[in-house]
Formats: sequence, structure tokens, C-alpha cells
Amino acid sequence: MNPFFAVVGLILLTSALMVLPLLPALAELHGKSDALPLSVIQQHTGEIRFFADGFRSYMKGLEPALRECVSSGAHSTGTMPDGSEYLVLGRGEEALLLPFRERNQFRPVMIASASNLLLPSETSFSKDIYSAGSVMGGTNNHYRAILAEKDIRLGRESSVMRWVHAVGEFSADGGCRLYGRVSSDAGIRLSEDCSFLRLNAPYIAIGAGTDPAQAPGPVIADATTHQRLFHDGDFEIRAGEVFQGNLVVRGRLRIGVGARVCGSVKSEKGLVLEPGVSIEGSLISASIMQIGPDCRIRGPVIAEHMVLIRKGTHCGTMENPTTVSAPNIQVEQGVVVFGTLWARDQGQAVASL
Amino acid sequence: MIYVLYVIVSVICIYTARHYWFTLNRLFGFQLHPYIDIDTADWPPVTVLVAAHNEEKVVANILSALMTVKYPEDKMLVIPVNDRSTDRTREIIDEFVDRFPGRIQPFHRKEGKGGKAAALKDAMELVKTEVILIFDADYIPGAGLVKQLTAPFFDPEVGGVMGRVVPMNCGTNLLTRLLDLERSGGYQVDQQARMNLRLVPQHGGTVAGVRLSALREIGGWNDTSLTEDTDLTYRLLLNGWKTVYQNRSECYEEVPETWPVRIKQIKRWAKGHNQAMVTYGLHLLLGKHRASLRERIDGTLLLGVYVMAPVTLLGWALALGVFYRGVAPLHGIVAILSVTAYAAIGNLAAFFEIAAAVRLDGSRKRVCLVPFLILGFAVSIFAVTWAAVSQVKDALTGAEFHWDKTERFRKAAS
Repeated sequence: MNPFFAVVGLILLTSALMVLPLLPALAELHGKSDALPLSVIQQHTGEIRFFADGFRSYMKGLEPALRECVSSGAHSTGTMPDGSEYLVLGRGEEALLLPFRERNQFRPVMIASASNLLLPSETSFSKDIYSAGSVMGGTNNHYRAILAEKDIRLGRESSVMRWVHAVGEFSADGGCRLYGRVSSDAGIRLSEDCSFLRLNAPYIAIGAGTDPAQAPGPVIADATTHQRLFHDGDFEIRAGEVFQGNLVVRGRLRIGVGARVCGSVKSEKGLVLEPGVSIEGSLISASIMQIGPDCRIRGPVIAEHMVLIRKGTHCGTMENPTTVSAPNIQVEQGVVVFGTLWARDQGQAVASL
Repeated sequence: MIYVLYVIVSVICIYTARHYWFTLNRLFGFQLHPYIDIDTADWPPVTVLVAAHNEEKVVANILSALMTVKYPEDKMLVIPVNDRSTDRTREIIDEFVDRFPGRIQPFHRKEGKGGKAAALKDAMELVKTEVILIFDADYIPGAGLVKQLTAPFFDPEVGGVMGRVVPMNCGTNLLTRLLDLERSGGYQVDQQARMNLRLVPQHGGTVAGVRLSALREIGGWNDTSLTEDTDLTYRLLLNGWKTVYQNRSECYEEVPETWPVRIKQIKRWAKGHNQAMVTYGLHLLLGKHRASLRERIDGTLLLGVYVMAPVTLLGWALALGVFYRGVAPLHGIVAILSVTAYAAIGNLAAFFEIAAAVRLDGSRKRVCLVPFLILGFAVSIFAVTWAAVSQVKDALTGAEFHWDKTERFRKAAS
């Protein structure tokens, strides 16, 4: 072979090999098939009622059918513009008479009720449920999503896959599993052994007998407290002591019985609040937090791993709701959280810790 | 010469390992977002500073966006810091003040030292709240952003907060697409990995927040710094304050659309970063302060990122020199295996990081552009080296730093 052609051939082959990996890049540069900015939803605020509000708007299309069923006292079926089948009940108790399991097996339908809705037990509802009144669910049911303009009560061992919103009070009997968002404009009440992820309401009471109205008076925050104490290693605030300012501890922190902190608290390791502690600011732990019993915390409660809250503890107040958040949360009966209770991985209401 | 080369190669290997560590952490590690779930609270009063110097093209967009954010109106005050603008910036701001009485308090700065830090420093006389948020005028905050950036301040250890920057003009040309990839790598992987690993997330000076008491404790804004954000990060760190990163607090920005503007921008960043390295590097690594060992190491490496450009160029030159002088580094076979190993793995570290970031962002085809990043890196390495050399020259001749504003490309809002 002519050495000249061999060299030229080698150069061309090498050039081709170099260009080859760039072909997809050149195609993308020219074609711009993925050149839009990353999607940042400008109106996104993380609002817990987002899906419920959307469903309520969606249900406006069923208002004529709902009115007609109320006046006739009968039920009707049909299909929404997007192809979803629906069942409208003029009288909510009719739901008890309908063969849901057979229907669900083949044709899942959305249910809308113009009045209080009674749902049978041992049933799976694979489409959303709307009630212009309240919803009373049977035991061991499985729901996708529920919106009620009044109260919602779920029977024992029921589960919700996506979301629930009650304009009135929401309550779940023992053993319920709430996998999505649960919100109420009035209050939430969970019985023992209920699991949850994200709850939001003016009050969230754990345990059937817990009365949020009996919450102690609000903890007054000292807005001028910006002084910070920094401590390397473990630290303890002794029983009955009053601590002024913000506290940051690089080790473990224990706050003794009846102590009061006029500021916020952070610990890099474990944090233990003994009975009757009062915190006027926020409570933060980079590890595990144990609170109570009978503590009062005004600000947000955040733990990077786990929060355990014992009976009689109140987080936030009706006037100043707050957030309790951690990957894992366990709350004992008798706890009240005013605002948001958000477990990223798992939350559990338990009889006793 | 050979020993200098060994040192350079070792340092490059450290940075390579760091790239992999961060990327693998983001792909497989525990992700830390402790404050993002705070959606209900007694929200504190907040002041939002909007730095604006000749921003007639963009200032109306950010003020409009801030007027629609979900934050208690009586607890949020917007202060546009109009820094000696000679265009219509003042007029536009004053129109907004009239439209939203009591919610915007303008700070029109007519004279004084140039630079964002100097302007913010002067504007502090109007700030009364403990939480301060800062935006550059070309950013467009979403409805939930103010709450998201305020939430970490419930933690008494947090002195600074940084959100994520997302280019909105990424589809304009090759440069903007490369910058989009770089931003993705920098925030989605680098910043979040530092957050996860409790290292040193960097304060970016925009889409960011700072605690007033922390700022006062560290002596306020440093108007001698070219990059007040880097300067702030290290002064907070040295004084025991954490800077935290919120990856889900995203905000659109405009990236440079021409290479000269990009080069000017990265040169300023390099000079400012190097300035911080000289000021804080030794003290951070060896001094007596509250930073942990891992923060000391990561902080030092972070300070050194812009020095790596001239160091790498020097390494290339030394490698060529060693080769042509016929010096065999180590034993020949060890050198060959090392170079081969680095070529196979080390060179890919930055590309791997960016590809992983794009994957985490859920993007699809833009990852195809990753090979073109070598072009962006090549421009950056020479621009940053040029900045470092001129910085040394300025230091020797006593010349003062000059602050260059980044040119905007958006059309003015009507």
C-alpha cells in the first residue's frame, strides 16, 4: 500500500473516531429536543390542599347532576369529559346498598354524594370520592382520595393512598394507614396504631379522648432574643432552670424537668426534653429527639432522623400553628400538634412509647 | 521539577476523588432536606434586598414576582437597592413603590464605592428584621420561595441559606446550554452533596438569605471583596454559623449568552475566590475556630477550585518538560499505569458529576451535550489563569480591584 494513502487513511479514521462520540451532541445542539429550562413551577407553594382544591374544581362539572339527584332522591351514572365514569348519589346512604366490590372489580367509578355519605365495609374505592356532606366509612376499606364538605370518619384498618381533605373534622379509627396528604379545615383526630405521612389542620389530636381545647395557654415568644450560646460537647439545662437566648450544642442535649428556654434550641446529637419543659422558639436536632410528657413547644420541631413525642405535649398553639417534621415520627396518645405533622418516611400514633 | 509535578498530580487526584465522592453521595447517599417541610409556622419578619445596578431590563420582573409570593404581607418588606443606576431602574422601582404602598421601600444610592457588597452595606441602615433575603435583579422567585428560604432560620445554628439557581435562557445557544449543564452539576450534585455530608455549602449571594445577628457578629458586608458571597460563607463558617443549601428552593436566573460576558464573569468569580483563599485559607485549615475537621478540609478545597486552573496548566507544562528531558517519573511502568488509570477514570470525574446531575434533574437529551463541556472547560481554564495572573500583577503594582457587572440579555419588560 502507498504509504501516503495509509497515512491519510489513518488520519481520516482517527478523525472519524474522534467525531463519532460527538454526533449525538451535534444532533442535540442542532435539534434542541431538550433545550427548555428545567421546570420550576413558579406558583408551587407546597400547599397540602392542592389536590383537594383541584378536585373540587373538577367536581363543578357534576353540580347539575348533584342538584338533580338531590331533588329526585335517586342516583345516576355518567361519564366526565375526560372519560371518567361517575356515580352520583342523591341520598348518601344509598351507597350501602350498591355492589361496590363487583363494580370495582371491573369498572372503578368516581362517587359523588349530595348529602352525608355512608360507605360499606371491606370495600376498595379505586376512584376519588366527593361528598357535599360528611363521609362515614366502614371498616377495612381502601380509598384513593376523599373530599368532604363536612366531617370524614374512617373505620378501623382503612387506608388512603393519595389524599383526604375534610372541611369539617377528620378522624381515623385504630389501625388506619394514611399514605398521602390528610388535611382538615377544622381538626384531625387519629386513634392508636394509625400510620401517617403528612397531616395539616388547625389541631391534630392523637387519641380519641384528647381534647385540644384543654391545651395550656400559649407560650409567649421573646422576639428580641437573638443572643446565642454555643457549646462544644454534651450539655444539660437543669430541672426548673430558665435559659435565656438561643442554644446550639455540638453534642447531646438534655433539658431537665420543668425547665424553660426563652429562645430556640439545636443539638447536633440526641436531644431529650424531660417532663414539663417549655420551649419558646424552635427545637432542632440533627439526630433523634425525645419530647415529653407534658412539654410545650412554640416553634417548629425538626429532627433529621426521628422524633418521639409523649402524652400531654403540645406543639404550637391554635393562634400560632407550627410544623413537626422528621423522617420518622412516633406520637403517643394525648399529644396535640397545632398545624403540620409531617413524617417523610413513616409516622405512627401509638398507645404508649 | 519532577517533585513539583508529583505534588500537582496529587492535588488533582484529590479533586478527582472529591468529584466522585460528591456524585456517588448524590446518587446513593442519605439526602438531607431538613427544613423544606416547614410549611406552617409563625413566620418571622423578612427583608428582601434586590441588588440592582442598571437593571431596567429585568427589575420589573423580580418586583412583580416578589409582590405575588406567598408570605404574610405585613411581615415582608422589599428593598430594591438601586446602586447608582443611570438607566430607567429608579423610575421603574418608584412606579412599583406607588403601586404597592408600604410593601416596597426603595434605597436609591447615588454615590459611593462600586460593587454589590458596598451597595448592600449601605442599604443595611434600612434593615430592621433578623432574616434578610438577597436576590440579584435578574432572578424571578416563585410563589413559595420566600418561605422556603426563611424556614432554615428557625435553626439557631444557621447563619446563611442558599437556594438553587436554574438558568431560564438555557436554550439560546451552545454557551447557555453548557452553562445550564455546569449549573446543574454545581447545585444538584456539589451543593447538595456538601449539605448531605455536613461540609461547606457555598453562599451564592443571590437566591440566598443571611441572619442579621450573624452578619453583625462577623462585621457586616465586606465591601473590599469581589465576591461577597464567598467572603460571607467563610466568615460565617469561622464564627460557628452554618450555611445551608436548599436544593428544592429553585429560582430562575439569566446566564451569559456571549463568551466575552462569560469570560468577564468567571474572571471576577476567580479573583474574588482567590482573594478569599488568601484571606481565610490558612486560618480555616489550621486556625482555632468552630469549624469541624471535615469543614476545614472541604472549605480549603473549595477555596482552591479557581487556583486549580493555573496549577493544571503548570502541570501540563511540567509534564511536557519532564517528557522531553527524558526524565522517567517514578518507575516508567508505574507512571504509564498511573497515567492510563487517570485517563480512564480521573478525566471523567467532572463529566460524570454533570451527567449524574442531569439524570437527577430528570432531563433526557441534554446529557448528549456533555462532550462539548470540554470546550467550556478549556475557555474557563485560560480565563481563570488569566485572572489569577492579573491578580498577582495587581497585587504587586498596588492596582485596585475593579468590579464588573454582568451584562443582561433579556428584553425590557413593557
